[in-house]
Amino acid sequence: MDTQLSEQERERYHRQMIFPGWGTEAQAKIKKSTVFIAGAGGLGSPVSMYLAVAGVGTLRICDCGSPELSNLNRQILHDDSRIGINKALSARQTLERLNPDIRIEARTDTISDDTVAGIVGNVDLIMDCLDNFDTRHVLNRYGLQENIPLIHGGVFGMRGQMTFIHPPETPCLWCIQPGSPPPVLFPIVGATAGVIGSLQALEALKYLSGVGTVLKSSLLVWDGARVDFMLLPQQKNPGCPVCGDDAA
Amino acid sequence: MPLSPDEIERYKRQIMIADWGTPGQERLRAASVFIAGAGGLGSPVSMYLTAAGVGTIRICDCGEPELSNLNRQLLHDDTRIGTNKALSARQTLERINPHVNVIALPETITDRGIAGLAGDATLIIDCLDNFETRHVLNRYAVSRHIPLVHGAIHGLSGQLSVFHSPRTPCLACIFPPGVPKEIFPVAGFTPGVIGLLQATETVKIILGLGAPLYGTLLMWDGAEADFQKIPVCRSPACPVCGQQPSDRAI
Repeated sequence: MDTQLSEQERERYHRQMIFPGWGTEAQAKIKKSTVFIAGAGGLGSPVSMYLAVAGVGTLRICDCGSPELSNLNRQILHDDSRIGINKALSARQTLERLNPDIRIEARTDTISDDTVAGIVGNVDLIMDCLDNFDTRHVLNRYGLQENIPLIHGGVFGMRGQMTFIHPPETPCLWCIQPGSPPPVLFPIVGATAGVIGSLQALEALKYLSGVGTVLKSSLLVWDGARVDFMLLPQQKNPGCPVCGDDAA
Repeated sequence: MPLSPDEIERYKRQIMIADWGTPGQERLRAASVFIAGAGGLGSPVSMYLTAAGVGTIRICDCGEPELSNLNRQLLHDDTRIGTNKALSARQTLERINPHVNVIALPETITDRGIAGLAGDATLIIDCLDNFETRHVLNRYAVSRHIPLVHGAIHGLSGQLSVFHSPRTPCLACIFPPGVPKEIFPVAGFTPGVIGLLQATETVKIILGLGAPLYGTLLMWDGAEADFQKIPVCRSPACPVCGQQPSDRAI
């Protein structure tokens, strides 16, 4: 892909390029970037839409499911007409409409330790927009192995959390959340996923552009009912089986 | 009219929230909100309130999408350049949720015109980019005693508060008129965060859930991921709400 910015791109991204420290250079860096988005649901919707309009050059979005009616209270990538088709393919349609100047790659496979390398490939950043910790830990192991940072997001009801993971500088996801809570059908407010997803997109663009400070070794926890934000410091676990001293 | 099986299925993940239930969903469906501005803030506010099933969305914008809006204004795309923003918004919102009544208002907001634009709305959401028009919203909200969910952004920073005179200060108590208009830097995720906080506050107010941000200004610095809550007080000399009795029951 041509990393020079066209006239059209300069106009499209003008309002963010006038940030102090952003300019042509940061915008070209973003254009050169490839970001993997795991999940095209409640978190994947705002993450992919805001990364698309900001001009991330290649978005590789993965989901093996299909939109259902009960997803549509929050998954704004999809609508009633997309029920029954794959979510990644539906996402590609929406994202291509939002920004024709970028490339969207849809992945419709299930992520597992066996398939993750082929699905994610060589990317600059992984966005965790999943709804279960088993698959999150697959991404965590892969990110660690390939030295790719991971931006974790999770929601439950009116609460959510987010952090930037890039060992050895930060703890890994297993240090912060060892194991997997049992999967349950939990309540979710669309706007909560929206808040966490937009915060994830912001961290991604700070990392890719080099503007601002990325949230490292700190878990942001948000309680929408009380409008409370907390930053909880996180530490590496030296005995962590994934990133610790004795990890295989 | 009770919720249809289709509506119950569509909203079931939020109906599961404690104190939400089907009565809460019916209350959302009966609500009418006025969204002033269909831009960077108006996009996430209107899209998420529509997806959540707020019954009537009155969305107002007198401008048209430009290419330089599209780094953040998810309601619009390249094909909408040249059409009115409120009309473009209606197309997008009707696709997100066919159950919602979307009223597009391609008008300029003035003191004379606002009552007609806001119509039956019982809550106003400030998704504007200038304080002059924000003060028009504020004067109307104070005179009708309806809540005003204020949001504003600048660069990587933003702010949020809920005004509901006379219980809380009004916008003019905190930001006296006279802030000049300017072209400021803005990327999509900044209005995304603030707009989604506004959508959350709106749902909380309609449903009576949690603690809305009454009497508190939330300041957010995205560059450092820093949030601060600042208590704000009524100004007895405020030209807009200073004459309102302070003990009026709402």
